[in-house]
Amino acid sequence: MRRTGLLYDERFALHKTGPGYPESPDRLTAVLSGLKNPGLLDKLIPVPATAAKLKWIEKVHSPKYILGFEEACMLDLGELGSADNQICPQTYDVALLAVGGILNACDMLMEGKIDNAFCAVRPPGHHAEMREALGFCFFNNIAIAARYLQLQWNIRRVGIVDFDVHHGNGTQHTFEDDPDVFFYSIHEHPSFAYPGTGREFEKGSGPGLGTTLNSTILPGQGDDEYRLKIIRDLVPAFDEFKPEVILVSAGFDAHAEDDMSDVRLSTEGFSWIMEVICRLADKHSGGRLISVLEGGYSMALLPELIENHVRILLDL
Amino acid sequence: MFIDKSMTRDVVTVGPETSIVTAQTLMAQNGIRHLPVVVDDDILVGIVTDRDIRSAAPSTLLAEAEKAAGERQLASMKVKDIMTANPVTVSPTHTLEDALLMMQNFKVGAFPVVDENNKLKGIISVRDLMRAFAQVLGLGEPGALIGIIVENRLGQMKRIVDAITETGVSFGSILVARVWEEGKRAVFPYLLTNNIAKVKNHLRKEGFTLLDPMEWYLDRVPKKN
Repeated sequence: MRRTGLLYDERFALHKTGPGYPESPDRLTAVLSGLKNPGLLDKLIPVPATAAKLKWIEKVHSPKYILGFEEACMLDLGELGSADNQICPQTYDVALLAVGGILNACDMLMEGKIDNAFCAVRPPGHHAEMREALGFCFFNNIAIAARYLQLQWNIRRVGIVDFDVHHGNGTQHTFEDDPDVFFYSIHEHPSFAYPGTGREFEKGSGPGLGTTLNSTILPGQGDDEYRLKIIRDLVPAFDEFKPEVILVSAGFDAHAEDDMSDVRLSTEGFSWIMEVICRLADKHSGGRLISVLEGGYSMALLPELIENHVRILLDL
Repeated sequence: MFIDKSMTRDVVTVGPETSIVTAQTLMAQNGIRHLPVVVDDDILVGIVTDRDIRSAAPSTLLAEAEKAAGERQLASMKVKDIMTANPVTVSPTHTLEDALLMMQNFKVGAFPVVDENNKLKGIISVRDLMRAFAQVLGLGEPGALIGIIVENRLGQMKRIVDAITETGVSFGSILVARVWEEGKRAVFPYLLTNNIAKVKNHLRKEGFTLLDPMEWYLDRVPKKN
């Protein structure tokens, strides 16, 4: 069994979104029930959520954007940029707590207090761009964590795996030129899914050419295609890159029963992907891995998917 | 849509007396396939393409001696020997639709853009058109496409737009596949949202038929009964 950290805080539910908005506080209840009912909570090491310092957020987002986000919440504007990004007066503080908690998980990982961690945060992050909130995301949690590991802990090579069904555009754009952060994303083909980026020809730019890799899945495809592409694309890429830490953008919306996409990944398919990622971490990163919740909107499915995900982290 | 904002203004040109080898080098260096040929004050007299040069070059199948002779001959040739004189041109007030249809009609990849005095103002190529139409499709903006099949009769588009507007989602663009099946059209709204499930559910509730994404085509031959 591995020492797995859990970042969970009831305050993540204070980011309240309106009716008909899939990224709702209920998601956290579903996540928690997936850990509580099978008795996994006692096996996890709590990671505290504390507000992140602005200097870390500013490694990824522009000060003007951060200020605009804070003001929009203070003024209770209801949304940031578009109706996709619903906010309430607490959203800014909750987003800071989410980032801060993930950075705490990074500290505990690097101090050897935990082997890996699952961060059950809201709001999600991978669509957020340097100057723009997009697709339910405000601060790019995973991108800030990667920068933090580099700057605070002198980690040079960070590998990011994003298996949310939507392309992690914000993360890709943050590291497109950076040869030290490898961004791998597997998602529904962008001609059929939000946000329309992450085509297979996108491979990074400048010095970062070759450390961005996208695998796309057509509507209706599922486990077989995921297996094929992960073995063909991700595994050799990480074997060559040899990440010192692996970060995972864990979205659970590629499931066949999740109506956010037309991709048909099974419950077992999710487990298989996570097992492969953990093996890559064992092989190259001394097991060091931090998984951060992105999408996944089916309340019926989330408990089981999260339970399996965390069991794999715990190596039970 | 006029072409003068979509054309390339900074055009690489050659003169009629320029050697073919120089023209070839210019194309390779700039990654282009068309060179307008101008005299005096940018007055257009012709156009030379990479295909013109390839046709003039000695075949790679020739024996070494013949090939060397051919290459010597090529080195002495000038642009005026192989260019298309008085090529088809467009003016800045032609439209993108003109250029698109003319490219299909004349089977060429680019037109020099000239003013009323035949002075070169720019060039419009397939690449410029693709950029303009990619932008019209909204491909640079985060969003998602959905496919709806409707009867080909008045008022269908209004129904679609109304139903989507009710969900509070903005449009990036709308494509209509006209060649679908008898009496039907496929409509593809590009929507600026991640919350696509909400839109789909609302459309289904309003009685629309959504297309399976693996059945999305712009052209589809009508079914024969």
